Amino acid sequence: MSDNRIEGYARALFEIARAEGTLDEVEDELFRFARSYESSDALRNALTDEQIPAAKRQAIVEDLLGGKATGTTTQLVSMVVGSGRGRDLPAIIDKLVARASSAKNLEVAEVRTAVPLTSDQQARLAAAIVNATGKQVNLKVVVDPSVIGGVVATVGDTVIDGSVRTRIDQLKSRL
Amino acid sequence: MNVLGIIATTGRFVGAEEVVLDSEGNVVTHSPWLPETPEIIWGGLASLIIFYALYKFGWPQMKKSFNARTERIQKELDAAAADKAAAATEAQGIRQAKGDIEAERGRIMAEAKAQAESILAEGRTRLVTEVAELEARSAAEIEASRGRVGDELRAEISRLSSAAVDHVVSGSLDDATQQELIENFIARVGAAQ
Repeated sequence: MSDNRIEGYARALFEIARAEGTLDEVEDELFRFARSYESSDALRNALTDEQIPAAKRQAIVEDLLGGKATGTTTQLVSMVVGSGRGRDLPAIIDKLVARASSAKNLEVAEVRTAVPLTSDQQARLAAAIVNATGKQVNLKVVVDPSVIGGVVATVGDTVIDGSVRTRIDQLKSRL
Repeated sequence: MNVLGIIATTGRFVGAEEVVLDSEGNVVTHSPWLPETPEIIWGGLASLIIFYALYKFGWPQMKKSFNARTERIQKELDAAAADKAAAATEAQGIRQAKGDIEAERGRIMAEAKAQAESILAEGRTRLVTEVAELEARSAAEIEASRGRVGDELRAEISRLSSAAVDHVVSGSLDDATQQELIENFIARVGAAQ
């Protein structure tokens, strides 16, 4: 899909969420859904398989998100998947998140950890990142078991890597 | 009867030989060994005429014939001499050719011998080179195999070590350790400017 089309979808989702007045919540849910989508081959295959009818793919989305996310989030993902753009869902959502952050003059800070962070940890981490980068950030936490331990924070092009995964990789390289 | 006989007979008739009788009435003949005088005269004249005629008309023919014969014989002698010279030249040529053939044979033999020696020497050199190459290749293959086995061993050790590290680290990361890692990260990033 072209960048323009991805941008178009992102703008449409952004406007809908903003019109619904649930932008922050929807943005957060969509971000977490995008990360789950990226890490799950089964989910990705199911939502991008052209052999599966669009209605069935949308039903899968509703089964997954129904009751766990807001109706707006479920409907937006369902709409994208139903239109056959499931493959571009992460890119669309990332654009939406960037747009939402930009609207608030924030930079998206994607934080990956092996275990969930408490609210306090998230607040302190956001403050630490602001202190380190000098940018106001919109913290997006992704629980990613592949990190094993520690934290990986990505702000724009800056990556602050304190993960056990990376240390193990370095150790493997030396081995 | 030859010509002289004919002339003598003719002379006899012309001379009207007189018959001489002795006292007893016997016919006396002249010497059985000498002809009659007229016969001698006429015979002599006839002989002279004949000889002259022969000299006048026969001799040139005979001389011409002798000359022609002499010339022919000379020509034959010349031709024979020429043939002999040609034969000698040819013999010389053949002898020379034979000599050349011998020289050529010698040259070819020498050349063949030199070539055979060269081929043998080249073969020996090539053999030595090939043996050296084979030895070098074998040594390289042995070295490569050794290196490959070493690499495979190192890769296997690395893989097993990685798996062991993953297992050990993942197993040792309890919740407290996870929290400690997160807090350390926050502290480290917060301290950075």
